[in-house]
Amino acid sequence: MTRPVYIASSGLICARGDSPAKVSQALWAGECTSGKRQLGEREFPYFSLPLSEADWLTRAEQAVSHVAAQLGPLAAETALFLASSSFQIGHFEEQGGPFELPIATASFSRRIAEWMHLSGPRYSFSNACTSGFSAIDAARSLIAAGQLDEAIVVGIELANRSTLAGFAAMELLSRTHCQPFDAKRDGLVLGEAVAAVRLSAKPATWRITGLCTGLDAYSTTGPDPQGGPIAKVAVDCLKEAKINPADIELVKLQAAGSPGTDLAEANALRQIFGNTLPPLLSLKPYLGHTLGASGIAELVTLLACLTLDQIPTTAGFKKVDPEIALFPMVDRSNAHIQRALLNLIGFGGGLASMIIERRT
Amino acid sequence: MIFLNAVLSQQHAPEKLPAAVRAALGKPLRRAATLTQLALVGALACLPKERRHLPTALLWQSTSGPRLETLTLLEEVCHGSAEPMPYDFLASQPAIAAAQIQPFLPGLQSATHFPLDTENEANWSLLLTLASNWLNEGRYAQVLCAHLDSWAESANAHWLALSNTALENAPANLHIRTMNYSDALPDTPDFPATLADWLAQPSSRVLHLQSSATPRLAVEFAQI
Repeated sequence: MTRPVYIASSGLICARGDSPAKVSQALWAGECTSGKRQLGEREFPYFSLPLSEADWLTRAEQAVSHVAAQLGPLAAETALFLASSSFQIGHFEEQGGPFELPIATASFSRRIAEWMHLSGPRYSFSNACTSGFSAIDAARSLIAAGQLDEAIVVGIELANRSTLAGFAAMELLSRTHCQPFDAKRDGLVLGEAVAAVRLSAKPATWRITGLCTGLDAYSTTGPDPQGGPIAKVAVDCLKEAKINPADIELVKLQAAGSPGTDLAEANALRQIFGNTLPPLLSLKPYLGHTLGASGIAELVTLLACLTLDQIPTTAGFKKVDPEIALFPMVDRSNAHIQRALLNLIGFGGGLASMIIERRT
Repeated sequence: MIFLNAVLSQQHAPEKLPAAVRAALGKPLRRAATLTQLALVGALACLPKERRHLPTALLWQSTSGPRLETLTLLEEVCHGSAEPMPYDFLASQPAIAAAQIQPFLPGLQSATHFPLDTENEANWSLLLTLASNWLNEGRYAQVLCAHLDSWAESANAHWLALSNTALENAPANLHIRTMNYSDALPDTPDFPATLADWLAQPSSRVLHLQSSATPRLAVEFAQI
């Protein structure tokens, strides 16, 4: 048995707003300002959630409850798939030492399920930046096989010092702003998000027609600069969707403004599409890189934009890097997109591509 | 038909794990976290050399996660200077394990890490169901499913290796069933050890695994 899997509803809170509609409006208006976070003597740009609550857990509950409410009524037994790269480490930081970690590393997932009033099966995924698509991949597989009818997939990444400090220590962060594919790009800008999709066997507007994951073992901190493994995953995804590269009308890039990863993705795109590339869009200049939540946060954002036929520009891009030699979108578009490819390139070698198709 | 080709349980004293890695590789694995070392030793034990280049997925779950490495990171970030040592941050990221394993398992095409949220409960039924679905689709030639834990006093690993072709000594085949079984075994981290006992001395024709959270989804094992 294999059934098509649809995205029935979605929810989102991120730096740009507290619903998919508000976020898409903000992007269409070109809003891309960020705040700052201090780390010792260094200061980094950061995309924070629009929540005033200071206590870490209370803030997390607010964000999760807010997103859950956007999904519509949920049956308590609905399966929950949770993606995160940091889970509740910000809570441990707030509590201070001596640190008392729970026996089960993802115990935070139980709390999230309670906040969402879900008592069915819970599954957690932690694959760095590709966590969200790994979770969707699993949920989609069970629905397609008739083993589930519906699933909620949540991506959650909330502010913490450990992640910011870890990326800072590896000199992966920009001190200015996110500039995907730009000649002056100098690193990532991190952010927070909670996002969710309800996947269903019941027909809805958007269908997932391809989803493939892969691995690039070139280095634990960056992909093969030639982009071969990234291209392979996207090509596998096109094969699964039974379409040609020319059928893709828009690519949601991974492009986070990282010198090495942006170059690898650009080289991969040329291998996939040759010289006829579809429009390229990065959402990270608006949301920041929300790591384990990024796959779902950017999927929900893109769907909101595509549903309104309002595709924003890639903010932060000004001058093409001659080595990349690709231009992301610099003009807004009202194109009616039928099919889009979404790329994720993860810290640690994880890769994922997804194709979504509008049901006509 | 999906076949169970290997069932393996390992336990190492943490200080002896690097020696086990050296024995498996013929050389040390530098700058690898405990869970990565545990994954490498187990994966190589599950797969004979001639199968290590075949398209492979690794699905691994963990109760402990990188617990000791996370504590080290928290100490450095909260009580030390603002930024941790880069390696200490990397060691706290389980997602990087696959990139360190792939050079020794060239067929490894995808890896997914499932951190667990409840002590003494596991996601074997999910991992085996996904493995079964993906093998039936032809997405991979084999799928390695594991539970890996790294505690201060011991490093524990349980493995099941699945394929759509039976090896000469494959002990069982498996089917995914969408119904409830009152006699099913619970989904616990050490399920492979229980499965190995049943394979050695079967008390019934088939054995079922079912998570209490998924009453309509079970994995059925039948001896070959």
